[in-house]
Amino acid sequence: MIRREFAIDATDVSKRFIRHSDRRQSLKERVVRGRARRSEDFWALRHVSMKVPRGSVYGLIGHNGSGKSTMLKLITGIYRPTEGTITTEGRIGALIELGAGFHPEMSGRENIRLNGAILGLTKKEVEAATDQIIDFSGLHDFIDDPVKHYSSGMYVRLGFAVAVNLQPDILLVDEVLAVGDEEFQRKCFDHLAALRKAGRTIVVVSHSLGQIESLCDEVGWLEHGEVQEIGRASSVVANYLARVNAEESARNPRIAAVRADGGRDSGSVVTATRAEVVDGHGQLVDHVETGTTCYFKVGISSSERFLGPNVRLAIQHDSGALVTMLGNHRHGVDYGWIDGDRTVSVGLVDTPLLPGRYILHIDIFDHLGTRLVDSWTDALEFVVRSPRGEIGQGFVDLPATFSIDHGPSTN
Amino acid sequence: MLAEIYRRRALIGAFANRDFATRYRSSFLGWFWSLLQPLATLLVYAAVFSLVFRIQAPPLGADPERTSFAAFLFTGMVTWNLFSSILMLSMTQLRSNSELLKKVPFPAWAPVLGASVVQLIQVALEILVLIGMFVWQRNIGVSWLLAIPILLATALFAQGLGLMLSVANARYGDVQYIVTVTLGALYFLTPILYPLSLVEDTADWLAIIVQLNPMTWFVEAMHDVMYSLTAPPWWEIPALLILGFGTLWLGLVVFERKGEDLREWL
Repeated sequence: MIRREFAIDATDVSKRFIRHSDRRQSLKERVVRGRARRSEDFWALRHVSMKVPRGSVYGLIGHNGSGKSTMLKLITGIYRPTEGTITTEGRIGALIELGAGFHPEMSGRENIRLNGAILGLTKKEVEAATDQIIDFSGLHDFIDDPVKHYSSGMYVRLGFAVAVNLQPDILLVDEVLAVGDEEFQRKCFDHLAALRKAGRTIVVVSHSLGQIESLCDEVGWLEHGEVQEIGRASSVVANYLARVNAEESARNPRIAAVRADGGRDSGSVVTATRAEVVDGHGQLVDHVETGTTCYFKVGISSSERFLGPNVRLAIQHDSGALVTMLGNHRHGVDYGWIDGDRTVSVGLVDTPLLPGRYILHIDIFDHLGTRLVDSWTDALEFVVRSPRGEIGQGFVDLPATFSIDHGPSTN
Repeated sequence: MLAEIYRRRALIGAFANRDFATRYRSSFLGWFWSLLQPLATLLVYAAVFSLVFRIQAPPLGADPERTSFAAFLFTGMVTWNLFSSILMLSMTQLRSNSELLKKVPFPAWAPVLGASVVQLIQVALEILVLIGMFVWQRNIGVSWLLAIPILLATALFAQGLGLMLSVANARYGDVQYIVTVTLGALYFLTPILYPLSLVEDTADWLAIIVQLNPMTWFVEAMHDVMYSLTAPPWWEIPALLILGFGTLWLGLVVFERKGEDLREWL
């Protein structure tokens, strides 16, 4: 057999679906309403070509509905292309949905056997892999129990163990790294790295751009079923991220600025009138970047002379968690007597916030810190982005140092 | 495709194993129930049709003086069950395995054929009971051997139809209901509960319908070789085998043509 250079070779692949709303679901409908109109077709993929070299790791990125998962299903052969050709070489293992092939009434061991047969292994090959699978899943004590009694975590663990230990030549991974606990995720990640080292071909679909960038050699970026760009992982991810950021800016033009235009008046002695976010040059910005200094500008107005207000900014993540409160009193700063309009400027040095959406609340207290003179909730909303795109890793980027030493811990 | 089916026989076996293992796992008496159902039906039908409707079975092959309505009835029932159970199970397999089919690549005919394999075990048990009945009646003959090709033809015929209907049912969900109703009617248009001669004596038009029903051919052949202990005309069994293999071939062709798209319908 000629060993082709590419493990997966898709040429000019298009996939058309007939829209679900339109398809005749029953024979009765089909008879009563006649043939479905063809114009309701939906092209999930259009003229997609991708070549995955043997032994490489290929990433697919794109928005939801861009056709990534359809592409995976075409590669596995679950769907067949409407146009174009896909050739693959070797046994394909799919981590499309872990444990999809499990039967709830059967034990873990029986399910390993069934899945092995489904993936095309002989009985002998399955027997050989069974112990390895049980070890990897860590389910020794439960392997003979019906899987319906498994927790969802156990289910996923067994599913992953089966999929990666049944020796596929090509492994397709669809967002599975997002499930399971931290430890299991690490194990999966390590295992993928090991498979890669062993020369297996891997295709990964993920929204975690950090994972994609660190794992993949090459990345294909799909948008509305069409290829936007194919190339080196770092450059495609960077371009994709730039597009995502630009689109989000277009959708939410100057979130910060909008809130600032209110010219608020609470009617109390001291009022927070405006709030905005600016960059180091004093320019209004639509988003803040992790690691670069930004400033919150809060306009306050007092109707009479007022001593040493404490202007406290509460930063809340949009998931509801309070990240921190920044008050001048706590930092030992006294604004002194104020009268009329002032602008308080709070600099967030090297913005240690991780990407996400944050809400700023403003409270103003008197110089003793006991009387609340003004409270402005939801004063402004701002977005933090990062050139590295680490999303969902928490709220703050704490300054940290890292090192590794020989020997056991001295404590 | 046949070569492919042979190559993936381990997969068919795995599905058969799954169905076998899960079928009666949650029930205590397991396979006993699977035999109880046809035997209970047999008992009720035998009582109603022989005692209430006074239907006479034809004379037994071993002793023309005697008849056994129960044995006659069960011969037909076993043949019918083989046909209808393979057909019904095959038809619904694609839908009942839809989650798997949508997510894992493997030949879609595997669960269909696997389910039939399990059903064959069930039918084999019924045949053992049938043989037991005839032995008890001392109605034994070499013509029994001819039952093997007849049952084979029946199974292939059912499997061919089952493959076609499974694709149709994946496309249009109401196919299984139409087929269920049709089979219900067909059961009474097959000489199972009555001998064929009874319809021929009473109503000509009905006799024509019954005789055009392919299941009549299979059931009548079984009545001949098992109950009457006579061989059917020489051409009949080859004809049934041709019908069986032909239908299976057609089913495989339909499945191969449509098989690649059916995962999108599920």
